[in-house]
Amino acid sequence: MTKLLHSRRLWIAAVVVLVGLSAPWWLSAYFLGVLTTAYYFGVFAMSWDLLFGFAGMVNFGPTFLIGLGAYGAAILNAEAGMPIPVCLVFGTFISLIGGVLLALPAMRLRGAYFGLITLVAVLLMQYAIVIFAHVTGGEIGMTVPSVLSIDATTNYLYALIFMVICGIVLYGLSRSAIGLILEATGQDDIEAAALGFNVAKHRLAAFCISAALSGLAGGMLVFYLGAASIDTVIDLSIGVQIIIASVLGGRRTILGAVIGAIVLLLADELLRPLGQLNTFVVSAFALAVILFFPDGLLGHLLHAGERQ
Amino acid sequence: MTEGTAPLLEVEHLSKRFGGLVAVKDIGFKIRAGEILGLIGPNGSGKSTVMKLLMGIERPNSGRISLAGVDIAGWPTHRIARQGIGIVFQHSRPLRRQTVLENIKLALLPDSLLRLVADPSVNDKAQAIATRVGLGAVMHRRPTTLPFADLRRLELAKALARDPQVVLVDEPFAGLTQAEVANFSELIDGFRQEGRAVLLVDHNVKGVAALVDRVLAMYLGEHIAEGSAEDVMQDPTVRRVYMGGKIESHARPEVELRSGEPLLDVRGVGVLYGKAQALDAVSIHVHEGEFVSVVGLNGAGKTTLFNAISGIVPHSGEIKWGGSDLRGRSVAEIARGGIVHCPESRELFGYMTVRENLDLGGHHLPAATRATQLAWLFELFPILEARQGQHARTLSGGEQQMLAIARALMLQPRLLILDEPTLGLAPVILEQLSKALHRLRETTPITVLLGEQNVTFALPHADRVYVLENSRIVWEGDPGRFAREMGTGYL
Amino acid sequence: MIGLQILIDGFAISSLYALGAIGFTLIFGVSGVLNLAHGGIMLIAALIGWYVAYTFNVSPYIGGAVGIVAGLISAYATYYIVVRPIQRSRTIPAEEHEIFILTATLLWGIMIQVGMDFLFTDNPVTMRPLLPGVISVLGVRTPKNEMMIGVLCWVVIGLMWLLINRTRAGKTLLAASDNPRALGLLGFEISRVYLLAWTIYGLLAGVAGVLLASFLGISSAGAGELTASAFSIVVLGGLGSVTGSLVGAYIVGYLETITAYLIAPTLRPIPALLLLVVVVYVRPQGLLGRR
Repeated sequence: MTKLLHSRRLWIAAVVVLVGLSAPWWLSAYFLGVLTTAYYFGVFAMSWDLLFGFAGMVNFGPTFLIGLGAYGAAILNAEAGMPIPVCLVFGTFISLIGGVLLALPAMRLRGAYFGLITLVAVLLMQYAIVIFAHVTGGEIGMTVPSVLSIDATTNYLYALIFMVICGIVLYGLSRSAIGLILEATGQDDIEAAALGFNVAKHRLAAFCISAALSGLAGGMLVFYLGAASIDTVIDLSIGVQIIIASVLGGRRTILGAVIGAIVLLLADELLRPLGQLNTFVVSAFALAVILFFPDGLLGHLLHAGERQ
Repeated sequence: MTEGTAPLLEVEHLSKRFGGLVAVKDIGFKIRAGEILGLIGPNGSGKSTVMKLLMGIERPNSGRISLAGVDIAGWPTHRIARQGIGIVFQHSRPLRRQTVLENIKLALLPDSLLRLVADPSVNDKAQAIATRVGLGAVMHRRPTTLPFADLRRLELAKALARDPQVVLVDEPFAGLTQAEVANFSELIDGFRQEGRAVLLVDHNVKGVAALVDRVLAMYLGEHIAEGSAEDVMQDPTVRRVYMGGKIESHARPEVELRSGEPLLDVRGVGVLYGKAQALDAVSIHVHEGEFVSVVGLNGAGKTTLFNAISGIVPHSGEIKWGGSDLRGRSVAEIARGGIVHCPESRELFGYMTVRENLDLGGHHLPAATRATQLAWLFELFPILEARQGQHARTLSGGEQQMLAIARALMLQPRLLILDEPTLGLAPVILEQLSKALHRLRETTPITVLLGEQNVTFALPHADRVYVLENSRIVWEGDPGRFAREMGTGYL
Repeated sequence: MIGLQILIDGFAISSLYALGAIGFTLIFGVSGVLNLAHGGIMLIAALIGWYVAYTFNVSPYIGGAVGIVAGLISAYATYYIVVRPIQRSRTIPAEEHEIFILTATLLWGIMIQVGMDFLFTDNPVTMRPLLPGVISVLGVRTPKNEMMIGVLCWVVIGLMWLLINRTRAGKTLLAASDNPRALGLLGFEISRVYLLAWTIYGLLAGVAGVLLASFLGISSAGAGELTASAFSIVVLGGLGSVTGSLVGAYIVGYLETITAYLIAPTLRPIPALLLLVVVVYVRPQGLLGRR
């Protein structure tokens, strides 16, 4: 029965990806742009879900990792004129280091304390960017000389393919031996250790994977937008959006995070006529989901399927 | 299978302190391959800490733990597990979204970040283990759909996955029915056949007597007796720890209580903890002015019974208080209605003073009544008056217990429920406490429901006694008869 | 002179921080809730107070009073609409209540912030001073309002201390933060105790919001920062410890003021944040935390 459900899920995913690939033929360039950003957010949210949903670590500062990747790549590009792939690798590496640094307290601290440290990390990074404004552009942000493409469709396809690859990697990981072990450590770390698993090692690994993908996605986003700024990759509100997307889609589902990100960004766009109130409506909707469907959109559907 | 007589697990001079509290003091024992050792002791005796030390969940302050010659004391848990010790936890938290088989497979996975896909042999191994512990028929179901006994089997299965040389089992039979107990005994006996060394940790000898080769008894962190189950059961120190000394009784014949409607009437009450049956069709009653003791070993269900009465846990069946059903009332409502529960854990406000604790107990009384009540309690427990301004957590164990009782009495209860007041107290303190209870019974018309493991403490005050065993009431009568009928079979 | 200046300015800002953080820590101590809509509640009190005073051209005291009531109402709303449903939920496993309350109050805070933007203004607003004029303290010219606010904060903190330590209702709050299980056994309805805690919290956050609007001004964009600073102060001092929060507030307040005067105003919050990181690494229970 699980096998059947499994293959059906795969099948649905394939159809969704195909529909996504066909989008440039029937969607306006404007909405392609919205979706492009949404796909990068999808990767952010999936990476966050790997940490929270599986390893049980509440990271309030996903934008710390994203920002490191984004600014790392942007600065190398702007200062040294390196080609995009090199910059992306560099950004990913910086973000990986940041991830390890952030993971160290995660081995000792629990719950809200760890959450606070991640929050502080974001604030400190924000100040660092303002202080080193001659390199980072400060509050205004910095532009990068290179961009992925100036064509909306190409950009869209880059983002889609990138997200699909990350989705496959993260989903596969969550279903693999490591995913199982991570889930066990998230649920009860003492029992996991008593089964012979080195909890710290697996948590660190989860952090590294989450950090690397977040950083890479951050770098990609910069080269799509042509600029890096606090408002687009670091601000706490971006982090909040990522958390909302992930919880909205359904924690511990990985793929739900993508759905959450797309729903969130599309809703934001469609509700634009409401002006300031659109954030209000989106937040209220997310709050309602949390209160009434705590398993999230995808989680709710899956559970309904399991109950049958 | 058994290779010689060299012990597989050898523990020497093991000690553990938590702050000022010595939880484990110079404990040593040996278990050979193919041998089952029972480690017993009442709550707070340190037996669980010993288990945690063996598994590396806590680090010992001193001592040696050698497993087949390798000293593993202080190692991290996962290394100890890989070295060959498996543990069966009492409370299981399986992965809910995976099947039983996947849960067992988890335990078989290598501790590696690079092996993304499990070995194909893992599947066969997991199936073999599932069948072996009796989960063959349900291995493709999710743990949430399983009955309690099967969840325990799953824990056994996970502990077996790494083929450990030593298996630690925490309260092997808690929450199981008689038939299931027999079944689990067979499984654990199977470990012995395979040449594993087994440590069973339990509250009392009785539960594990049939299975163990030897028993080690602990009390307040120390080794008090060791030997065959028979010997330990007969050991005077063990008997004193569990039952107190000589049994005395002072039922009050002059009080004619048995007639009329009972004040508290518990009928066919059952309680489930998750899926474990913690209380099964228990019926007791207490008349106005009566002192009723419920005796039973730790884990028999006394606390659960009291929690059901005071509304802390939901129950099936009926609990009537002065003729009306208690169902649907909150804990606070029940307390204000006159049933005051003084729990085993005492639940004092540790960072508040003795006086503040007492005042909170009398919060709902008019000021004048509160003052007289307080004066009366200071008369009953003079030490509390002397300690008025001291923080509750700085009191000694005995003083804390007196404070807990006094605080409960501040509510002017119609029924006082005392759960295990002797827990962790030294014999001298027990005597003081006993005297206070005696005075209380002599000077006031109070109705008391006392839960105790320590029979010597429970009997002298009681007008009537119930014996609770394995979630059921197995005996009821007056304390005089208890010594004759239950005295020897109790432990 | 600059030393005295720092002393005076630091006192006012620290007292305000203390006021904001005490309520935050009280709610945590009593019911284990970290309310990330904290800044939002201060914002409501401040903006409504400002709006009433400004629109109806009444004294800032009347505006402030209305603002405090608004803060109280929004605290109740937070409790009944967001926190309590999660605490009582059966579908959310108990071990995930914390993260759900954090996420839900975070969303609620955003809703408040955006709602306030929409209803009133997203520009920074400053209330008219409660006490106009300037006095000279040993040669340092200080607005009377600043002195007044520092003093008012301490009056409120003092009242709060009296309430908690000298009244019977206050004692139940202390007891709840010590051992909530025991309260039920002693006949106290724990839900009532929670309600009392949220009432005091609403009043404290309201007063803090109004005074902040009068002293430094407030803008809806700053709501998140207010929450973050309360959170940091409380963790620095020790979660659930009221005295710890006072100490934490003064450390943060003075560190910020010293940095602003002696190094650069732009670097104002950094040393406090670094200190927080160090404390959390070295002593996770905070400076005065138990456990």
